[in-house]
Amino acid sequence: MNKNLSTEAKYFVWIYSILLLAYPREFRREYGPEMVRLVLDCQRDTYTISARRRLWLRTFFDLVRTAPREHLNNLRQENKLMRKLHPNLVAIGGCVLLILAAMLLLNYGRSHQVPSILLFGHVLDAVVFTGVVGNVIVFLLVKLTRLRPLRVAFWTFLIVTLVPSLALTLIAGADPKINAPRVVVGYVVSFMFWYGLHWLWSNKLKASETV
Amino acid sequence: MFHILLALADKERHGYHIMREVDERTNGNVKLGPGTLYGSIKRMMADGLIEELEERPDPELDDERRRYYRLTDFGFRVASAEAQRLEQMVRSARAKKLLPRTKAG
Repeated sequence: MNKNLSTEAKYFVWIYSILLLAYPREFRREYGPEMVRLVLDCQRDTYTISARRRLWLRTFFDLVRTAPREHLNNLRQENKLMRKLHPNLVAIGGCVLLILAAMLLLNYGRSHQVPSILLFGHVLDAVVFTGVVGNVIVFLLVKLTRLRPLRVAFWTFLIVTLVPSLALTLIAGADPKINAPRVVVGYVVSFMFWYGLHWLWSNKLKASETV
Repeated sequence: MFHILLALADKERHGYHIMREVDERTNGNVKLGPGTLYGSIKRMMADGLIEELEERPDPELDDERRRYYRLTDFGFRVASAEAQRLEQMVRSARAKKLLPRTKAG
């Protein structure tokens, strides 16, 4: 490939290949070989020494000018990714914390027989169940489809609330331990709690997008 | 970026062809360096203005490692819109006698 090139031209191409290290790794991998080929082609088409020197200078200044720009672009891309990831992480973390808090409170209330906590036992049970199932479904649907997040949250929590509360109400006829009205109230409160949180979160995201 | 769009408007080209076309069309006033050219190509591909050909146009004549690029439909529309904008500006400049009138005008 290099047999028609002068020794100094070969050196220049060799040095340029090393100088490509100034570019970000991904950019170098993607376009490095093409850039070296381009410099080689330019060398082949340059016949006088002065033209060749102008080419080397131009290529060098091009590298000095564009390598920092590529690094800057990479940083911007990473920032964009972090900005996108950040609200998701906060939302998932918040849900996990709320569910854990409800579970711990319920466990504590049951093991120590705390009447004030047990009074809300059905609500806490429903909050944990709909929180885990509903949020997983909402998260997957929002990430995998283009459906509106708030609408997805509404229908998902409605279904996740209705199905178990109806099932438990039906079973309540046969099992006297189950208090049907309390179960229903628990699930209604849980629906309002989770959907309310999603509504608040959606409004917060909208407000930050507007800013 | 518009220079690259113009270079690819009539046919698909590889990097060195694009560079030479721009150089010739501008009488050597615009010389794209490798970093400028491939940096622009990267961004234009990300924006959907150009795309890389999966097959070389003429494998017999060329080095198989070369990568060819062509305008996408969107790239063509963008180039066309920019050309019309420039034409409008030239017309305005001519109306204000900043440019000599053509025979037709």
